[in-house]
Amino acid sequence: MWKEIGDREMGKIRPNSFSSQIKSNRISNLQLSNNKDIVSPHRGSVNSLQVDLTEGRYLLSGASDASAAVYDVQRATDYEGNGLIAKHKCLFSVDKQHEKGHKYAISSAIWYPVDTGLFVTGSYDHYVKVWDTNTTQVVMSFKMPGKVYRTAMSPLATSHMLIAAGTEDVQVRLCDIASGAFAHTLSGHRDGVMTVEWSTSSEWVLITGGCDGAIRFWDIRRAGCFLVLDQSQSQLGRRPPVLARSAANKVNVSKSLSAGQNSLGKQRAPQKKVSNGHGMKQSTIGRMPTKGSVRQRLHPGMLSIQDRATAHYGAVTGLKVTDDGMYLLSAGSDSRIKLWDLESGYNTLVNFEVVRLQTSKAIQLAISQDSAQVFVPCMTVVKAFDVWSGKMSLAFRGHYESVNCCWFSSQDQELYTGGNDRQILVWSPCQPIPDDTDAGRVKDEDNWSD
Amino acid sequence: MKALSCCNLQWIRSSLSSKSALLSAEQVGVAMPMVHDKKHENTYTRTFLGVEYIHSDVEAQRQQHEKLKQRLYALPAIVPNISKMDKASLLGDAIAYNINELQAKLQIMEAERETFGSTSRVSPGLDPNKNAESRIRGPNITLQAVDDEERGKVGTLIEKATNSTAAEVDPRLLKAIKSVVRSSDSELRLAAHTLMDLMKRDHSQVRYLTLLIIDELFMRSKLFRTLLVENLDQLLALSVGFRRNMPLPAPPAIASTLRSKAIEFLEKWNASFGIHYRQLRLGFDYLKNTLRFQFPNLQETAARIDRERRERERRTREILQNKFETLKTNFSSVKEEIRATVDEIRQCLDIVRTKEECMPPILLDDEDFVEFRPAELRQIRLDSLKEGEKVHENNDNKVVFDALRELYKLLVTKHLASVQERISLLIRVEVADNRSRDSMLKELIDIRNSLMSVKKDCEESGCALPRTAKNNEEEEDFWEEGNFGSTENEITTEPGKHKEVESSNAEEKSKSIEDRNFKKSNKRSESLAKVPASSKVKAKDKDCSNLSSKGKETLGSENSVRSELLAEAPVLKWGSFLDNWGSVSNRDTLANQKGLELDNHWGRVDYDAVIPAEKIAELNLQATIYQEKLGEIQPCRAPLNKGALCQRRDLKVCPFHGPIIPRDDAGNAINQNSSTEDTDPDSGSDLVEQLAKQAVKNVREQDKEEARKRKLAKQSLQREKLAKVREHNEAVLRDAAMASTSISAAFGEDMGETVGEGSVARRNKQTLASMLRKKVTTKDRLSQRLLNTRATDATIRQMTQGEDATYKEAFPNQW
Repeated sequence: MWKEIGDREMGKIRPNSFSSQIKSNRISNLQLSNNKDIVSPHRGSVNSLQVDLTEGRYLLSGASDASAAVYDVQRATDYEGNGLIAKHKCLFSVDKQHEKGHKYAISSAIWYPVDTGLFVTGSYDHYVKVWDTNTTQVVMSFKMPGKVYRTAMSPLATSHMLIAAGTEDVQVRLCDIASGAFAHTLSGHRDGVMTVEWSTSSEWVLITGGCDGAIRFWDIRRAGCFLVLDQSQSQLGRRPPVLARSAANKVNVSKSLSAGQNSLGKQRAPQKKVSNGHGMKQSTIGRMPTKGSVRQRLHPGMLSIQDRATAHYGAVTGLKVTDDGMYLLSAGSDSRIKLWDLESGYNTLVNFEVVRLQTSKAIQLAISQDSAQVFVPCMTVVKAFDVWSGKMSLAFRGHYESVNCCWFSSQDQELYTGGNDRQILVWSPCQPIPDDTDAGRVKDEDNWSD
Repeated sequence: MKALSCCNLQWIRSSLSSKSALLSAEQVGVAMPMVHDKKHENTYTRTFLGVEYIHSDVEAQRQQHEKLKQRLYALPAIVPNISKMDKASLLGDAIAYNINELQAKLQIMEAERETFGSTSRVSPGLDPNKNAESRIRGPNITLQAVDDEERGKVGTLIEKATNSTAAEVDPRLLKAIKSVVRSSDSELRLAAHTLMDLMKRDHSQVRYLTLLIIDELFMRSKLFRTLLVENLDQLLALSVGFRRNMPLPAPPAIASTLRSKAIEFLEKWNASFGIHYRQLRLGFDYLKNTLRFQFPNLQETAARIDRERRERERRTREILQNKFETLKTNFSSVKEEIRATVDEIRQCLDIVRTKEECMPPILLDDEDFVEFRPAELRQIRLDSLKEGEKVHENNDNKVVFDALRELYKLLVTKHLASVQERISLLIRVEVADNRSRDSMLKELIDIRNSLMSVKKDCEESGCALPRTAKNNEEEEDFWEEGNFGSTENEITTEPGKHKEVESSNAEEKSKSIEDRNFKKSNKRSESLAKVPASSKVKAKDKDCSNLSSKGKETLGSENSVRSELLAEAPVLKWGSFLDNWGSVSNRDTLANQKGLELDNHWGRVDYDAVIPAEKIAELNLQATIYQEKLGEIQPCRAPLNKGALCQRRDLKVCPFHGPIIPRDDAGNAINQNSSTEDTDPDSGSDLVEQLAKQAVKNVREQDKEEARKRKLAKQSLQREKLAKVREHNEAVLRDAAMASTSISAAFGEDMGETVGEGSVARRNKQTLASMLRKKVTTKDRLSQRLLNTRATDATIRQMTQGEDATYKEAFPNQW
C-alpha cells in the first residue's frame, strides 16, 4: 500500500488506477465486521437491501414480516462493549402497524434514485407503494394483478420516473410516479416475472427475467421486446477491450468461428456503442436478416423461434447488469450463473463454481464497482466470484439460513447481506485496531493455565 | 511497561524455541559431560604443575565452592528460562524446568506410546470393535491410514482421546494435547482441523468428546478461536443439530447430552468472547431468538438466586427489627404481667405449704429407723417418706390447687414460650445500640430462670400432671387408683398401724413399679401380663382390704382363666364354618335371596327355594388338609472329587452317589449293616474268629472301596476332558456360524454368557460400535418371532384353511 502511495506521489500511476487498486485490495480483504452491527428490527427474512445512490449512507431493507426499515450505515446509534461494537439501529421502520403499511411480505424495497426523499416497496399483497421518507407516509400506491416479486427504477433516468414491477402476472407493468398510473404493460413472458432490472447504459432499456426462464429486453419507447437471451447461443469468453479490438479483429473471427458460432454479431460489434437502447436495437434488428431463415415476426422485431428462447432452465431468479452496461449476470433456479454479452446477446460460457442457489425466491446479486467481482448468495453462504473467470475468490459464512440479498456499497467497500435468519450482516475490509488502554473489558488473548 | 512485556514475550518465545532444540534427554546428557571435562582438565593441570595441595579444610571448602559455582554456571546453557543469575533462582528455575517441563514431555510420550502400542497390539483385522468402527467411518478409513503421518502428534492424540466410551476426556490425554498444541501454531491449526473433522463423524459419542476438547482449547487459545468461529455455523449444526437435514447421530441419549453441552458452551463462549467475535454473537442470537433454544443461562440464574437470597435476608431482618421495636415498647408491661403470675403462684404455693406444715412432724418418726432392719427396706421407706412429704390435694386445698394449676398452665404455655421466643429474637436481631439489647436479654434470661424455678416448684408440689398421663390413660388410671388408695391409707390409718401398712404399701409400690416396667416392655399382651402381678397382689395383699384391690382381684382371676384357656385353645385357619360358630342353626335358609328380602323391583322372592339346614351344615363342615411335617432332608455327604462333600438333598437316593446313608465327616459311610451283622453272630461261640473274619472283611472292603474310588476318579477325569473338548468344539462352531450377520453376532454374544468367561469379558467391554448397536428388547425378540416369514405364512395358511373349511361346510354340494 505504501508503495502505491509512493508511486502515486511520484506520478507513476494515475489517480483512477490508484484508487481502483486500493479498492480491489480492500475488497479482497472483506470479512465479517465485528465492530459494525446492524440491529435488524425484522421478524421475518430480509428480502431486499439497498443503500441509497445519492449519499451512500442510508440502507433500506425490506422483510417478510411486511416491514421496511432504514439504517444509517455511517453513524452508529449507540455503542457496546466499551465502544468496540457500533450498533446501527434503524432510523425508522414501517410495518403492519402502519395504517397504510403492507399486509404481507415486502419482496422489494428500493430508493428513489434521485434523492432519499422517497422509497418504493413492492409486496406480496399485490401493492407497490411509494413512501415519503421524512413523514413515513404512503404517497402513492399501485395495485398490481398479483404478488410483486421485484421493483426497479432506472438509476440514469432523467426523462421518466417509472417503476418497473415484476409480478406473478405475465405482464410487466411500469408505474409512473408522476401520474400515478400504469404507463406501460409489457407482455411477452409466459410466466410470472421474478426480476426486473434497468439497463445501466440506456434509460429506456428494461431487462426482465421470468419464471419461464427467459430474459427479455424491452425498449420502453417501442412495442414489444427486442431481445430474448438464448442459452444455446454462446461465444467463448469476453470481448477484447475496444481499443485493442480493431487490431485483433481477425484473430477474433477465427476464434469465434472455431467455437462454431455465428460470428457476424462479433464482427459488427465494434461498430458503435451508443448509450441509448436505440442503437442497440438497431444492431439487433440489423442482425436478424442475416440469419435469414425465418422472416416472419411474432412481435415487432422478434422472430418466433427467438421468442421462445430461454436463458435458464427453470426460473430466472436474479439479474445484474455490470456498471458499464455491457454485460449481464443472471442467476437461475438451475443453480447456474451466466454472464451475457449484451452487445451480441450471447452466453459467454463463463463457468461460475456455484454449488447451489436458492430456487424459490428471487435473489439479489451485487457487483463491485469496477465489475471485477460479483457477490452471489448461495444458500447460507455469499460467494464472491471473479466476473470474467468465474473463479470463486471469497466465501462469506455467517448466516445461519439462506441468504436472499446482498448489496455492495462502492463508497466504503462494504457488503451488506440479508437472509432468512432475519439478520443483516456487514462485511467490511478491515478491522480498526482496538486500543489496549481500557482495562475494563475482557482481553481476547491466549490464556493457558498449565 | 508494554514495551517491556513485549520484549519479555519475545524472549520467552526464543527461549521456547531453544527449549525445543535442547529438549531431548540425551542432549542434556551430552551437555553435562562437557562441563565435567573442563573441570578435570583444570584439576589435572594443577597437579601436573606440581602445585602442592593444601589439605586443609579451608582449601577443600574453597574447592567445593568452586566446583559448585562452575556447575551452577553450566546450568543456564541447558535450562532455557533462567530469570536471574543468583544461585537460588538458578536452581529454582532448573528445578521448575526439569520437573514440570520434562514431566509434561513424559506425559506426551507416554500417551503416544500408548497409542502406538495399542495399534500395534491389536491387529485391525481381528478386533471386532475396530471392524465395527471402520464400518462406521466408511470410506474414511483408507484415507486415515494415509494421512496419519501428516496429521502428526496432535491428530493421533485427539483421535485417541475421542475414541472412548467415557463421559469425560481422559485428563492425561487432554493435558498432553494442550501442551502439544501450545508449542506451535501449526499444531494448533492441525488440531482445529482434526477436531472439525471429528465433529463430522457419525457418532454422537465421538462428537461429544471432540466438543469437550474444543471447549478446552477455545477457552485458551486465541488462534484456535479465530479458526473455529470461521466455521461456527457448521460446528453448531454438528453439535446442536439445528438443521433438519443434519440431525445428530446415534446413540440418542448421548446426542441429547451433546446438544445441551453445546448450548451451554455456546453461552459460555458468548459471555466471555462474544464481544470479539461477531460470529459467536450471531450464533448465540440465532439459536436463542430465532430457534428459541433454551439456554441454561447460568450466570443470570446464579445472580437471580443470589438476589433472592439477599432479599429474603433483608426481609427477615426487617421483621426482626419490627418485633424488636414492639418488644422495646411493651417490655415493661410484659415483665409486669409475668411477675404478677409468678407472685400469684408463689402465694398459692405458700398457702399449700403452710397447710401441710402441721402434718409432716407426725409422720416423721425418727425412732422407726432404728427398728427397721434391712437396708433396702429402709431405702424404700425413705422414698415413701419423701413421697409422703409432698403436698397432696384434698378437699381442703382443692381450690388452691385448681388456681395453681391454671396459673401453671398459663406460665408454661404462654409466658415461658413467649420469653423463649423473645430471647431468640434478641439473639438474632441486629440493632445499632447493643447495650439496650444486652440489658434486655439479660433481664429476659433472668425472668426465664425464675420462671423455670417456679415451674419446678409447681411440679414438685404436684399440681402439674406428669407428662405420661396423657399417653396411656387407661393404664395410668388403674395405677393411680392404686396410688391414691395407698396414700389415703397412709393418711387415714393410725400411727400405730402405720408401720405395717407402710411396709405393705412399699411392697405394693415396688411391685407396681416392677409391673409397670414389665408392661412397658410388652404392652400388647397387656391383659396377660397383668395376670401374674395381680395374682401376686392377691396372694400377699390380704390384710389390705380395699375396694380397689378387690376389684383388682376379680379382674385378675378373670384374666387368669382367660389366659389358661388361651394357652390351650387350638389355632384354626379361617373358613366359612366359623361364620356361625357355636350357634346351632336348624333353620332353612332361603336360596339366592341375599338382598332380596323385600319383594321389590329386584324381582320376586321365591320363598319355596330353600336350602335345608342339614345341607348347610354339610356345607359348613370343617375341612382340613393333611399337612406333612417337614423334616429336614439330610444331605448326601458323599465325598466329591474336589474334596468337599456332596450337598445334594434327596429323600432317599442321590442320583450321583446312590442311596443316602449316614456318613462320617470325611464322607465315608458308617456301616450300619456291620453292626447289625455283628449282633447276629454274637450268639455264636468263637468271638475271636469272628473278629478276625470281620477284620479281614473290613480290610478287603476298604481295598475294594479304594480301587473303586480310583476308577471313579479316572472316569470322571476322562469325562471332564471330553466335556471340555466338546465345549471347545461347540464354541468354535458357534463362532463360525455367528460371524456372518450382526444380529446373529449379538445373539451369539447373548449365548456367550453361558459359555465361558472370555466371551463375557468381550461382551462387557464397551466400544463406540457397541454403543450404536441397538439393544435387543423382549419386544424385538417377540416381533422377530411373530413377524418372520415362516410364522406369517403359517398363520395365513391356517386362516385360509379355516375359510376353506367354513366355505365347504356352507356349500357342501358345490364343487
